[in-house]
Amino acid sequence: MGSERNLIIDDTVAFLKKVPPFLSLDDINLQSVARHLFVEFHPKGTIILKQNDAPGDSLRIIKKGSVKVSVISPEDGSEVVIDYRGEGDSFDFLSLMSRDSLRANITTMEDTICYVLGINPLLQLLSTHNSFTEYFLKSHITKYVDRVVREMQDKSTFHSGSDRLLFTTRIGDIANKKVISVPEDTTIQAAARIMANKRISSVIIMDQDNRPQGIVTDRDLREKVVAKDPRVKDSVKSIMNFPLIIVDAQDYCFEIILKMIKHNIHHILVSKDGELAGVITNHDFIMLQGTSPLSLTKDIENQQTIDGLIPVSKKINGIVGTLLKEGARASNIIKIITEINDHLVRKVLLLAEKKLGRPPSPYCWLVLGSEGRREQTFKTDQDNALVYADPATESEAEAQNEYFSAFSEIVRDGLIQCGFPPCPANAMASNPRWRQPVRRWKKYFADWIDNPTQDAVINAVTFFDFRPMYGDFHLAESLRDHLNALLKDKKVFLGHLANMAIRNPPPIGFLKSFVVEKDGEHKDQLNIKIKGLAPLVDIVRLFALEKGVRETSTIGRIEAMRNLHTMVTENADALEHAFEIIMLLRIHHQFEQIISGQEADNFIYPNRLSNLEKRSLKEAFHLVTMMQNLIIERYKALIW
Amino acid sequence: MFRHLRHIGDLIRKKRLVDPARPFTDARFVVMDTELTGLDEKRDSIVSIGAVRMTGGVIDLGDTFYQLVNPDTALSASSVVIHEITPSEVAAKPPIDAVLAEYLAYASDDILIGHFVSLDLAFLNREMRRIFKHELRNPVIDTLSIHEWLSRRLPPRACFTAPPLGYRLYDIVKGFDIPVNVAHNAIADAYTTAQLFQRLLPLLAEAGIITLGDLLRIGTPFKGNDGLAVSGEFSNF
Repeated sequence: MGSERNLIIDDTVAFLKKVPPFLSLDDINLQSVARHLFVEFHPKGTIILKQNDAPGDSLRIIKKGSVKVSVISPEDGSEVVIDYRGEGDSFDFLSLMSRDSLRANITTMEDTICYVLGINPLLQLLSTHNSFTEYFLKSHITKYVDRVVREMQDKSTFHSGSDRLLFTTRIGDIANKKVISVPEDTTIQAAARIMANKRISSVIIMDQDNRPQGIVTDRDLREKVVAKDPRVKDSVKSIMNFPLIIVDAQDYCFEIILKMIKHNIHHILVSKDGELAGVITNHDFIMLQGTSPLSLTKDIENQQTIDGLIPVSKKINGIVGTLLKEGARASNIIKIITEINDHLVRKVLLLAEKKLGRPPSPYCWLVLGSEGRREQTFKTDQDNALVYADPATESEAEAQNEYFSAFSEIVRDGLIQCGFPPCPANAMASNPRWRQPVRRWKKYFADWIDNPTQDAVINAVTFFDFRPMYGDFHLAESLRDHLNALLKDKKVFLGHLANMAIRNPPPIGFLKSFVVEKDGEHKDQLNIKIKGLAPLVDIVRLFALEKGVRETSTIGRIEAMRNLHTMVTENADALEHAFEIIMLLRIHHQFEQIISGQEADNFIYPNRLSNLEKRSLKEAFHLVTMMQNLIIERYKALIW
Repeated sequence: MFRHLRHIGDLIRKKRLVDPARPFTDARFVVMDTELTGLDEKRDSIVSIGAVRMTGGVIDLGDTFYQLVNPDTALSASSVVIHEITPSEVAAKPPIDAVLAEYLAYASDDILIGHFVSLDLAFLNREMRRIFKHELRNPVIDTLSIHEWLSRRLPPRACFTAPPLGYRLYDIVKGFDIPVNVAHNAIADAYTTAQLFQRLLPLLAEAGIITLGDLLRIGTPFKGNDGLAVSGEFSNF
């Protein structure tokens, strides 16, 4: 009320003119924004917004003062400050848009004045000013993804929030629903029947040239048919929504959510290369939370067929990308990936059991190599074996052979379908050699240790990293007991492992520069697996087998030997750090290859590393060299 | 204008009832300020009325009131300097009768807040009596009284150690680090007062003042003393 020039509004406009994204608005719009604002004052130490509370209904812009954004760690209840916001910054755009409960506490660091902008005027701005949408998408959101979340890395391994996936997942990746369409002369009733039969919430209306014209959703049936006079014999065209809103499969989910909010719709068509590729509903975004590691495992649990597992397994690489973007530690990434792969493999085993019925005797599915060490990154070859209870009779042995042969083939094929290629060396349970009763396995182990030929040693390093995955774990534990007993004082065999651990000296020359491949396809590249990871894994395995440590992961072995193995005790932190950096560089390298459509390999370009990465890698390599020298000293007589 | 009056008949006569036990966190307030031609209640008159609405501690920038008045009294040269309102500007404005009716409609049943509000009330009620035969019937509280009470009640702190003549709005808000606009203007001062009230709210909570009844008691308009009513000491003119 009142028609005079309003100094408060002038004052507010002057402030907004300095604050992105408002500064891009003209005076008329700024006046209008100012008239939608409320002013709040929060003394120092006030919690303005609380983690897990219901989503807010407004954006707050700090006029004066500052706030901290913090998260209470679900593990130990400690507070992790993930961001500070000062004058001109705003919060909490994210929960406002996603309508998710609040992700963080916002606490004032000093006396703070906030302008409060309600969701409706904000949406109005977002829909009429591209600069607004861009600002919040790019600056605000990348800030959120890149900076804020980074701080969480140390605190949480498995609790990967879902909201950031909205910014890293492309809509095409989740819009995999088949599009159901009907011709435009279909009656409302017929369309409704199709929707009911197919259990879908929307149907696309096609014109005579089979081009999508409009969409009819559950809501239209409610609002335009049931709520008004029923005209079920009318053409479905009379109730369809048009023009259709079609988005590109490459768009990020977040942009689509904005579109849904803007247009107040719940269904959007997704096109890929000009073709309809799917329908996305707001429900799918809830399901998107299924791409967070934790709920991906839930998703795996819910599948009842191998076919159902295939799309789920495809999401695993995406998770690595998410985790990398979050700045997760390599050891956490491989832990999470292993966890998910374990779920997948167990599910395949369960489905195979379902198909074949009860096994004739107890068995245990073993995973070997990197899978056994819980150090998988991207989909790796299958490395597995099967141990089953010793048969009492010839006929029992036959029944076992028949069952486990069929069983392991189903599992092998199922895993291939889920993206795990077969082992080129045929180290799989489907190979009868690696599908044996306990007593036969014990004999294998004894033979390898007593007669360490080259093949035996190669088998030993793969198989001795075994880990029980599914079935009767006692069988695996008894194998481990047996192995540890066998290894006691087997200096010669351990000497072979020692030779293996030192055969690849780290590629650091006296000039402190990297020794790289001199020529050929991989000129100027460094094979980080052979020159970095393998020696470290081999060294730690050697120590673990010396001490009869049951743990199989490299980090786990280092931890277990902190107070057990003098060479580890003195270098445990350095060893873990070396493993982290080598593994991280490898994951980064492979992930970049995968997203650019290449085959993942282990050849990195040292000259493309940052100085920090180079220095860390050199330190890691120096440590490996030092350990190798200690091993040479220790096994002097057995080194050739 | 008289048709307008019939609409606001209730606003003129109705005594606003306040539940004294209710917390004031979601109460509606109208924080107001008037600009005057001078401090002489008999000779001077209202130049403008400005007000902002608050719900609890939240100021609504979309619901403000600001109206210049065509004054009965010629603006004195000194007040022009302060308000930057010149006689020709207000000559074209509506008379106080119309502005006051509008203001009553705006203020509705809300609790009025002002800084050293008895001065504003004196001028407003003079016009109310003349035009409507009634005085303002909204409950009124004074940020000056609240500040005084708190400074006696709470441990010493920066916001209570105002300069010697610490009654003026501009002196008090300095202690709270509230940004102040250069020009004295009814709506800008109402906004400043509203921000002062925002700062006082957490202090009131600290002093155990939670209910409207307590707030009204503590905030009873400060009567001041004549010694303070010296030209230049108040921002109202």
